[in-house]
Amino acid sequence: MAGSPLFRPRLLAEALELLAETPDARPISGGATLVAMINAGLVAPPALVSLTRIEELRGVNILENGDIFIGAAVKHNAIATDGRLTGTAGVVSHAASQIAGTAVRNMGTIGGALSHADPGQDFPPALCAVDAVVEVASKDRRRKVPVREFFIDWFTTALEPGEIVVGVKIPKPVPGVGLYLKHARVSGDFAIASVALSVAADGQVRVAIGGCGPKPITSGDADAILSSEKSRVAIGRAGDILTALSNPLDDVRGSAAYRRLLIPRMLQRAIEDAAASKH
Amino acid sequence: MTVRTLTTLQINGVQTDARVALSDTLLTLVRDHCYLTGAKRGCNQGVCGACTVLTDGVPVRACITLALDCDDKQVSTIEGLGEEPTMQALQHAFINCGAFQCGFCTSGMLIAALALLRNNPRPSADDVRYALSGNLCRCTGYKKIVEAVLSASEAISDRNTP
Repeated sequence: MAGSPLFRPRLLAEALELLAETPDARPISGGATLVAMINAGLVAPPALVSLTRIEELRGVNILENGDIFIGAAVKHNAIATDGRLTGTAGVVSHAASQIAGTAVRNMGTIGGALSHADPGQDFPPALCAVDAVVEVASKDRRRKVPVREFFIDWFTTALEPGEIVVGVKIPKPVPGVGLYLKHARVSGDFAIASVALSVAADGQVRVAIGGCGPKPITSGDADAILSSEKSRVAIGRAGDILTALSNPLDDVRGSAAYRRLLIPRMLQRAIEDAAASKH
Repeated sequence: MTVRTLTTLQINGVQTDARVALSDTLLTLVRDHCYLTGAKRGCNQGVCGACTVLTDGVPVRACITLALDCDDKQVSTIEGLGEEPTMQALQHAFINCGAFQCGFCTSGMLIAALALLRNNPRPSADDVRYALSGNLCRCTGYKKIVEAVLSASEAISDRNTP
């Protein structure tokens, strides 16, 4: 396709070279968000680098140490149905199963979702609840960014110009429960508020709140409280800490005040659900 | 000047060559170049599901699929699926159950339901609702659509039971 403004490289190195050489070019994978933005007239990239043919970005692989590496181009549906995301890592597939509808889950990719960083998305809090690591690469280097440091602000990530997400590493699943509780206007909509929770069999808890600020809300203090005690009082204290850290907006989906009310109530329900669903 | 690039793909089994711009979608290609108007342009944002088509056998949104990125792919629109027995069972069930009001969402609903029944021939009502949850019916005729998909599933399994 000589002269085409759409590049379709087969190798990651070629894609990174193209993105370095053509600063105005945008990477595109599933297109579920970028093409919708083009249709709406929000962006008009002069050139696109399609990542869909790059084998290196595909597949879910178990590493030697038991960690799970999800390639950036893996579709939401593949993650939603991957039986290897067991125990605490179940929060990632549970979140994936609640993204949009089937046809969009067949298009959208985890790398694209993380790069877009819409605060109403489902993956960001789910990945925080398992302490995932985002691997990013540019022409000159490859680096690892803990997911809690990857999201910086509204629609803003740690990605630098020329960098793309190449994959997400999820620590080896441990026995326990991982679940994702989402409150939305209709099934598949962006979250008004969401709770991503992992509860290991030894009681260790990791929690992240979505939809209530520029990035997922996490707190070492809240995790510590919930890891040692799961009484209503303890959940209330953890909920207060997370609510105080939130910075929600008033929007068409709900007011900021409504979202602040949801956080402790949804946390309570998520912990009850986890206790009821010992896998 | 808009640069147009030749793209070649299979649409309903027919090799199709079209010159498309970078921002042209698969929906524009099938509707405005091929005059296959079964896939509808509803929201053009990937939300409503009226444009659902199969790409390499998998349901996707044509309105947020780049036409140029479909080079070498197999696309099926509603017009190309009428010979498939499962689709015929769905069509009969939609008629028998009255699962239409304005009809704008119907081709997307049928393709989403076809993809469901290919993978899960005996879905529960909840399975059907989950599979169709990305397809909006602005007339809100969901109850009869869900009934029609369940009815088609029964008809297929009766036919397959000796």
